[in-house]
Amino acid sequence: MSASVHKETAEDLARSVRDGSRSASEIARAFLERTGRTSDRLGTYLHLDPESILAAATAVDDRRKSGEPLGPLAGVPVAIKDNICIRGVPTTCGSRILEAYRPPYDAHVITRLRQAGAILFGKTNCDEFAMGSSNENSAYKPVRNPWDPERVPGGSSGGSAATVAAREAPLALGSDTGGSVRQPAAFCGVVGLKPTYGSVSRYGLVAFASSLDQIGPLARSARDAALLFDSIVGRDPRDMTSRPEAKGVDLEELERGVKGIRIGIPGQFLGEGLDPEIRACLDQVRDGLAREGATELDVALPHARYAIATYYLIAPAEASSNLARYDGVRYGLRAGNGDLRGMYETTRGLGFGREVKRRILLGTYALSAGYYDAYYLRAQKVRTLIRRDFTEAFGKADVLLLPVTPTPPFRLGEKTEDPLAMYLNDIYSIPASLAGVPALSFPAGFTKSGLPIGLQLVGKPVDETTLLRVARAWEKASDAARRAPALAEAAA
Amino acid sequence: MRIDAGTVRKIAALARLRVAPEDEERYVRELQEILTYVEQLQALDVEGIEPTSTVVAGEPVPLRPDEEISSDVRDEALAAAPDREEDYFRVPRVV
Repeated sequence: MSASVHKETAEDLARSVRDGSRSASEIARAFLERTGRTSDRLGTYLHLDPESILAAATAVDDRRKSGEPLGPLAGVPVAIKDNICIRGVPTTCGSRILEAYRPPYDAHVITRLRQAGAILFGKTNCDEFAMGSSNENSAYKPVRNPWDPERVPGGSSGGSAATVAAREAPLALGSDTGGSVRQPAAFCGVVGLKPTYGSVSRYGLVAFASSLDQIGPLARSARDAALLFDSIVGRDPRDMTSRPEAKGVDLEELERGVKGIRIGIPGQFLGEGLDPEIRACLDQVRDGLAREGATELDVALPHARYAIATYYLIAPAEASSNLARYDGVRYGLRAGNGDLRGMYETTRGLGFGREVKRRILLGTYALSAGYYDAYYLRAQKVRTLIRRDFTEAFGKADVLLLPVTPTPPFRLGEKTEDPLAMYLNDIYSIPASLAGVPALSFPAGFTKSGLPIGLQLVGKPVDETTLLRVARAWEKASDAARRAPALAEAAA
Repeated sequence: MRIDAGTVRKIAALARLRVAPEDEERYVRELQEILTYVEQLQALDVEGIEPTSTVVAGEPVPLRPDEEISSDVRDEALAAAPDREEDYFRVPRVV
């Protein structure tokens, strides 16, 4: 029985634990065993402690035996990106500066997952402080794409996407600032949701760019993503941006199909530079959804082409401020002899990697005297224009359909020497981040060479339901979400 | 905007970040390239446009009730310190 556990949906796993047909311990053992076969090759985990995983599973089984109610994720392993705090568990953010750090508290989402009966399944590898689009910025090791280990899994939540794609864990949490859940989801062929800004509390998420950061689920299906989202959504007084109107998703809503849903396609924005196979896939999905009863229309996002320039001023500026806390005084690495200032400079010089330093320098520059108005303030004004584009588009459309990335997954090392080329890869994911609206990457198809293609749905604020509903309709209409990487099949 | 090694040294000092001399040229080149790219924003007319500092719309976030709560994590927090003395974080001498 345990041989088939990894093929089950999270929904079915939780149901089987609740009705007693499977134990949480059996599930935990099965996933630990699978993870053991592939995670070293893929580089998916920075910390995995089988003992605590099995202890948590036993606790769920004990609760069932004593007749206590079990939550919606009872016994389901959920991998956690390493920038989300778990009390007493190493939380490095993929950085040397937090190498030995163990937070004294749980993030809000961790508290919620514990309440839902989930099994916290290891800390996933990521780009350092969530800065990157390829997972090559982890200070510890890169993550590899389960569909082709010579290629990147995307970033920064590359470990979370790859572990779900490789069937090492049924669910994972990531964080998305400019596309860090959606882009790796697209590269790894899984579902990744960036919720509406403010829907999920960031209490305990290590801050990168606070006006953009949002925690989101990764899963193999729209229903499983909805289940995980539903377990973490909602108001938390410890996050001042947490929205009172945030709401979860009713799974039955997802089965209603797309009849009458108005799908907007920003034709002009897609423009040049989009890989022809991704373009063809988008046309195929558009036609397929039209056959299911959706209507299609063209929308304009005239300022979206300025999104990368806007983002690479706002996000580094906020990061330079947020990362000022790593000073070698209260936690994390301390280095350098001599005076206090020298200690700060040496600690940060040794503790941060190249990409993090580049962004701190860029952000410090954009905020420095004489440049604030020309860079940061201007970027915030352009952000307003980008938001207005979305408001206008949603006057006509219920949901927007666009690519997640301009190309399929690229090779390791291909863009590491050219930061701007790496940044340009985020052209389609960043606009929704700046607007604060929900966006989802779903498995849409494959290239001729067998690499996954993800497409993106962008929705109105707090309307995650429609995104998941359209993705669910495509799951039923195509087999894109049913294929598994050869590496995962071989490990079965 | 032209970036040179002096600019990099100046902002690195502001950010309390040691940049190795052999890395300076690389940062000059990369920051110059990125700043040249973001120059495109200068072409947009943003006259009269309000800046977006947060995308949280609608009702103001309600304040939580003013209740006493316990957050006794002093020992755990101090346990993470690279250097401490009794209940204090210890740093290099500043005076």
